[in-house]
Amino acid sequence: MPEINFTIDPQTGEMEMKVEGVQGPQCADVAKIVTELTGAPQQEENTKEFYAHPNVRPQIHNKKT
Amino acid sequence: MSKYMTFNEVVFKDCDLLIGALEDIGCKEIRQSENLEMGRYYSDQLPQRAEIIVPRNTIGNYYGDIGFRRSENGEYTPVIDNLDQSQVLNGQFIPRLRAAYNERVIGKVAARLRGTIHRAVEGNIVKIKVRY
Repeated sequence: MPEINFTIDPQTGEMEMKVEGVQGPQCADVAKIVTELTGAPQQEENTKEFYAHPNVRPQIHNKKT
Repeated sequence: MSKYMTFNEVVFKDCDLLIGALEDIGCKEIRQSENLEMGRYYSDQLPQRAEIIVPRNTIGNYYGDIGFRRSENGEYTPVIDNLDQSQVLNGQFIPRLRAAYNERVIGKVAARLRGTIHRAVEGNIVKIKVRY
């Protein structure tokens, strides 16, 4: 199950976010939702999962003619 | 000397989340409209306009209103008297507002993802997990 781990430092109000359980660049969609509300992050780093290929096989639909 | 200062490096992108966060940290009587005039209580306070105003004397801001001015790209930046900035919430007004705003952001993200929230405090750090 995908999850997002946030940490907030009350001393500064700064927030960190880590997306886990999402392979490939789909985690960027989650990051986009957050940055729409917070603005661009000061620092951004892709995890190993970002570079993993999602285990999805392409589906081919044959049209009957 | 008392003067209004604008914190351009602190931005809040969502008006509703910002107002909710202000309420979370104890702000009352929050006014919201276009181009509101901030009060001038000391001669050193230059004229300021804002879209969101926390009136003077409502959260320990004895020297002036606390305003949030919307920029052309829709982001809100705080305007606060320098003496209030060092005294409101023991000088922690902006950090506490940012923390409250960020918690609201997480709530909205979880709702959009139809996820569940698990919140814990470890030491001084708030840890929030969203599963979806």
